Amino acid sequence: MVNENLVKDVVKEPYKYGFITDIETEKIDKGLNEDIIKLISQKKEEPKFLLDFRLKAFKKWQKMKEPDWAALGYKKIDYQDIIYYSAPKQKEKISSLDEVDPKLLETFDKLGIPLTEQKKLTNVAVDAVFDSVSIATTFREELAEHGVIFCSISEAVKNHGDLIEKYLGTVVPASDNYFAALNSAVFSDGSFVYIPKGVTCPMDLSSYFRINSGDSGQFERTLIIAEESSSVSYLEGCTAPMFDTNTLHAAVVELIALDDASIKYSTVQNWYAGDEEGVGGIFNFVTKRGKCLGKRSKISWSQVETGSAITWKYPSCLLLGEESVGEFYSVALTNNLQQADTGTKMIHIGPKTKSTIVSKGISAGNSKNSYRGLVKMGTKATGSRNYSQCDSMLIGDQASANTFPYIKSQQPNSEIEHEASTCRISEDQLFYLQSRGIEFEEAVSMMVSGFCRDVFNQLPMEFAAEADKLLALKLEGSVG
Amino acid sequence: MEIIEKIQTNKSIDNQTEIQKICLDKLQSSPLPNPKSEQWRLSNKSKLSNFLDYSVNENNSKFDIPYPKNSQSTIRLIIGENCQIKLIEKTYSIRQLSEDELQKYIKEQISCFNQNENWSDLLNLSLSCKNNILGLKINGSKIPPIEIFSYASGNSLNAKTLIIFLEKNCNVELLQVNLGEDTSSLSQSTFFCLEENSSLNHGVVSYGANKSNLLNSLNVIQQKNSEYNLGSLHFKFNYARFEIRIKQSEGNAKTNIKGMQITKKDEQISTYTKIDFDGPNGFLDQINKSLADDKSHAIFEGSIIVPKIAQKTDASQLSRNLLLSNHAQIDTKPQLEIIADDVKCKHGATISQLNEEELFYMRTRGITLTEASKLQLSSYFQEIISFIPVSKDRWDLLDKLLNEN
Repeated sequence: MVNENLVKDVVKEPYKYGFITDIETEKIDKGLNEDIIKLISQKKEEPKFLLDFRLKAFKKWQKMKEPDWAALGYKKIDYQDIIYYSAPKQKEKISSLDEVDPKLLETFDKLGIPLTEQKKLTNVAVDAVFDSVSIATTFREELAEHGVIFCSISEAVKNHGDLIEKYLGTVVPASDNYFAALNSAVFSDGSFVYIPKGVTCPMDLSSYFRINSGDSGQFERTLIIAEESSSVSYLEGCTAPMFDTNTLHAAVVELIALDDASIKYSTVQNWYAGDEEGVGGIFNFVTKRGKCLGKRSKISWSQVETGSAITWKYPSCLLLGEESVGEFYSVALTNNLQQADTGTKMIHIGPKTKSTIVSKGISAGNSKNSYRGLVKMGTKATGSRNYSQCDSMLIGDQASANTFPYIKSQQPNSEIEHEASTCRISEDQLFYLQSRGIEFEEAVSMMVSGFCRDVFNQLPMEFAAEADKLLALKLEGSVG
Repeated sequence: MEIIEKIQTNKSIDNQTEIQKICLDKLQSSPLPNPKSEQWRLSNKSKLSNFLDYSVNENNSKFDIPYPKNSQSTIRLIIGENCQIKLIEKTYSIRQLSEDELQKYIKEQISCFNQNENWSDLLNLSLSCKNNILGLKINGSKIPPIEIFSYASGNSLNAKTLIIFLEKNCNVELLQVNLGEDTSSLSQSTFFCLEENSSLNHGVVSYGANKSNLLNSLNVIQQKNSEYNLGSLHFKFNYARFEIRIKQSEGNAKTNIKGMQITKKDEQISTYTKIDFDGPNGFLDQINKSLADDKSHAIFEGSIIVPKIAQKTDASQLSRNLLLSNHAQIDTKPQLEIIADDVKCKHGATISQLNEEELFYMRTRGITLTEASKLQLSSYFQEIISFIPVSKDRWDLLDKLLNEN
């Protein structure tokens, strides 16, 4: 008989990114109204079209209701009790990394994110976002040589306003959902990537999001545009300090892939998840969507979700272009009182489109882990295919694993396959591994890692290492 | 509110039974199901309102069973007609439930109703008059096969209720046939209670004619060591909804379900199933097939709920769908909600069309395309039809499905 407590101990691991950086910040008053939005826009010196975009979104948001269909229970969010803009105080204009507040650099160093280029370990360009603003973006010049634009969205608004005006809100319109509308009204920063025609981005791009302040929400917005025959791999990481209050994170990510372009978007989400009693933690409400606009374009989402008290996230693909491809690979680990309602939407609109969904959920403690996905074949999606696989692993008899796949087809010449299964760590396998001299803890870790392998194989090298480390962190330490 | 008025105008308050009053009362607060709820989201609103368009009919016109009995031993009952039954033989007995027993049981059920989920039952019980409620208690062994008919006559809304208690250790084969005439609505609610060690092979065959509607709700409570097998077939309804709710109240029970729905023209037929495992060692094997042609819409939503107490549950659910036309639509949503960790649960869903390679192979052997399609379809149908118990051959189901339009 497996000692359940042992397994539970194995998945417990203190949160090591929970420190707070003591830095002087500039915050605006709590609350949300038109004046606040105008103030944010003014602080960021935005053009009029963007202010209009924000105000329009705000008007829509006011008329919308917070969605309650997800299998999540959380206390009501008071949207007037949140600071919508918080930025570390720094010099007016930063011309090089040396001018960034050393405390900030130190923070990102602690998180294992090399912002100083001398220290670079891997060939990854990083955009670091601290609370509401982007601190620094590395490797800009090298990227610029290839014509790649990689900067914070605020800079992009100033320097590439035409692209922003053309594409912002085209994939996730402001009226898309409650949290997207909120984000459209108050988004403060985020990353902007533009890969010109025919360019394969010479290095992986990465954004690192850090919430530092306990009473401010983070509302970042990411926009990635891959022109014809270009390709890019983008990584995103998130951490936050430990507070006993809940912090709201409502982000929007928009991807656009034109003919023959390919975008790979990988996330390792490790926001603070709250303590064992479920006090504190990030409320993570994220709208991520990619539009495969061009023929033979491809968008691939891979995510490792281990943090957040509440996760509400459905990275989706709109497959418009002929023969476009959408992929979704996800591992979601929930423990203690965490709740995750995550999955994807694959909307097949164009002919001969293909999508693959692989979702692995691991629930431990008293947590709740739901997969919710939609696969839709439109009337014009002839010859399209979808394959979905959702597996859940339960650790302990208090955790719950739910699967809610919505499958809709209006096209007879298409095929949809979906399968889901639930299992637990098999006693036989554990016994076998232990009888071969493998420690209990390592055996559990190996089995979880094996369970998630299909997804880890899809992560870029740098991230695969990080994800493995992250899971290992959650799965080691407390036994022995 | 119209529906409430309609029910009330049909009979004076004095004629209403206590059950009808309770149900009407519940319906007063929300006369129609919430169209945004998961259970009713995809339901065609105008078709549902068309269901309620007809006036309530409590008098049963003479109904001729379409196929004669081929065996004397089959017991045939028509809900609304010969409702006086008392069969006491050497090895078994079938008797009618007393008024008190019925009242008590129905009230118990109503107390657990959820307004949205059990809306069809509430409607049924508020419409069903005494004559149209058939309650049976069956015990013993060597029970002959039973056939029970529900029938809706044209231009009217008919409500029939069936309640059956299977006592300990008894095995029953039961075929339930729901028939609807052209332009009719039938509301059928069925309640089964399977006591320990009992088993029921249940077949449901529902078919209508043009513009007939059906709300068919089936509630089964299984006590331990009971076995419930259901084979069901729904076709030729303008609008039909089959709701299956099964509760394994103490676990250790077996459930097998094989269901099929076939939609053509602009029909909409949906199947909703909810299986609750309220004890350990439960078993479920479910397959639901849909076929949608022309401009029709087929829907399947199945949920399996495995709470903490239901350890060692083994449940599988498969939804297989054939979409045969550019204008037809299929929605399927098999779902799992699991808390117990030592369980084996899985589900699968596929939507496709007829296998082209197989068609091609048959054509190279000189079989015409139409024949080849029919051959493929018949094998698709046969798996379900062969699971329906009791003299199903007489119903020529396969022929009806393949050759009738």
